[in-house]
Amino acid sequence: MTVTESPGRLTFEAFRRNPLGPISVAVLLLMGVVAVAAPLIADYPRGYGEDVLAPPSGAHWFGTDDLGRDVFAQVVWGTRVSIVVGLAASLLAIVVGVLVGVAAAYFKHADAALGVVVDLSLSLPVLPLMILVAALAGPSVPTLVVVIAVFSWPEVARVVRAQGLAVVPLPYVSASHALGGSHLWIIRKHVLPGVAPVVAVSVVLTTSRAVLAEAGLSFLGLGDPDSWSWGAILHNAQRSGSLATAWWTTLFPSLAILLLVVSATLVAVVYNDARDPRTR
Amino acid sequence: MGGSARFMVRRLLRGLLTLWFAATVTFFLLRLLPGDPALAVADPTMTEELYADLLRDYGLDKSLPVQYWHFLAQLAQGNLGVSFRQNQPVLDILLERLPWTLLLAGSSLLVTMVVGIPLGVLAATRAKGLLDRLIQVGGITGQSLFVPSVGVLLLYLFGVRLGWLPIGGAMDDDVTGLAAYASIAKHLILPCLSLVLVQLGSYVLTLRSTLIEALGEDYCRLARAKGLPNRRVVWRHALRNALLPTTTLVGLQLGFLVGGAVLTESIYAYPGVGRAIYDAVAQLDFPVLQGAFIMLAFTVIVANLVTDLAYGVLDPRVRAS
Repeated sequence: MTVTESPGRLTFEAFRRNPLGPISVAVLLLMGVVAVAAPLIADYPRGYGEDVLAPPSGAHWFGTDDLGRDVFAQVVWGTRVSIVVGLAASLLAIVVGVLVGVAAAYFKHADAALGVVVDLSLSLPVLPLMILVAALAGPSVPTLVVVIAVFSWPEVARVVRAQGLAVVPLPYVSASHALGGSHLWIIRKHVLPGVAPVVAVSVVLTTSRAVLAEAGLSFLGLGDPDSWSWGAILHNAQRSGSLATAWWTTLFPSLAILLLVVSATLVAVVYNDARDPRTR
Repeated sequence: MGGSARFMVRRLLRGLLTLWFAATVTFFLLRLLPGDPALAVADPTMTEELYADLLRDYGLDKSLPVQYWHFLAQLAQGNLGVSFRQNQPVLDILLERLPWTLLLAGSSLLVTMVVGIPLGVLAATRAKGLLDRLIQVGGITGQSLFVPSVGVLLLYLFGVRLGWLPIGGAMDDDVTGLAAYASIAKHLILPCLSLVLVQLGSYVLTLRSTLIEALGEDYCRLARAKGLPNRRVVWRHALRNALLPTTTLVGLQLGFLVGGAVLTESIYAYPGVGRAIYDAVAQLDFPVLQGAFIMLAFTVIVANLVTDLAYGVLDPRVRAS
């Protein structure tokens, strides 16, 4: 390892050296492929099947539900909705959270007001509030995306603000001020790159939290009734009473959720360790 | 004492501000969203007159600021409105259920601490060892668990398959006295365990990293240098300081705990506020949903206040700042 290697390169090398990092990335990529290629992997689960509540077999890898629909197909198509809702909600939350976080860190007079709003939002129980809004707005994919995003950005803003506060007082930012750089230019050239690593971690973590939120709302019956998601499969199992006997209707969607969230968390943990020279 | 008193007053005011914020957010969300709450009770075949009566009954015919003021005034008197479906004050419905939610959430927090603190100490004192690795992997996996998945799995295993524990409800109907307590405890085990499993990870991981940091500090090295046994340095010196960030975590995690309780109660038909939410979702009973959120927010705010005050007692530096 030579001294001239860039920090980005060192981080990448350290990330690659820890087997958990590449494996987790591979799992996430695989799930992305399943989401995109769902129509090629399984037929859309609809109507009624002949084998009701059949355990896993060669014909039905994950068994069938109380209406005889293939659980494997449900999980495959559910991957699509869960990931789309998770990503869309997370991106929306990231945009708002970064704007608010950077503004709070950079403009001193805005910090107090924005800080109070973020702190207050973070101290409320979010799930009951999301339930209330989702029930009122009516269940659909866009509703889920907006509702989850609206209640996820404060966490992003908190993390970005904390990192921004460390970047803004640095001498090179002050130097840009002295040289007459505009606020927008300094934010774009200095503050945003400074908070970028935190934002990268935040994208991964916010998406996995959004997937969990979607699953929670869908489990309570507030999912999009016209599409499958992992939470919706669990909701159907709960409503039909089959979760008590047909373990396959709940085990496989549960494993899918667990796999996605664990992989996302590991990517974030390994990346953070790889970025830190002390743990690299 | 002046500093402590001011600290408590400031925290109290902050709690009130949060409560006002929660109430305001719900009010404006409900009024500004596309869905019309009155339509939920209205019958499509209703005449114009009946519909107008209905609006007046719920105070929905007034202007927005008037409605808002009325809402806050009613809330200050503890009036959360009337349930659309059960024709009963929302507050009565929820107060009847709140003790169960408090029991569930409180017991799970207690068990998490009792199990989590030794696990965190174990991992920190064997940092980088095999046991530490195992606890870390377990912690990350635990953090990633989806509450209903855990609940359903435990229900299937211990309730259905093995038949050791009841599969739902909070107690049997036909028991009294000591048997009633036993029945309550028996019904509590699975829902409580579900919540412990999903929140244990973050406590153990936080305690582990703060404890490792504390053990590297000068005062711990001094304690070791003067010949104190390692066990005493860990439990009496380092742990005291490491527990402070863990106390903060309780405050941060309360919202998550409440969300977990809602999902857990839905699975186990546990008669708490969360189950009321689950039933209200199916019936589109908006006053109950709104009241449940405000009540849970209030609970979290009070619990946060208690944690803050405890923190102030544990750490004099907080009072001073």
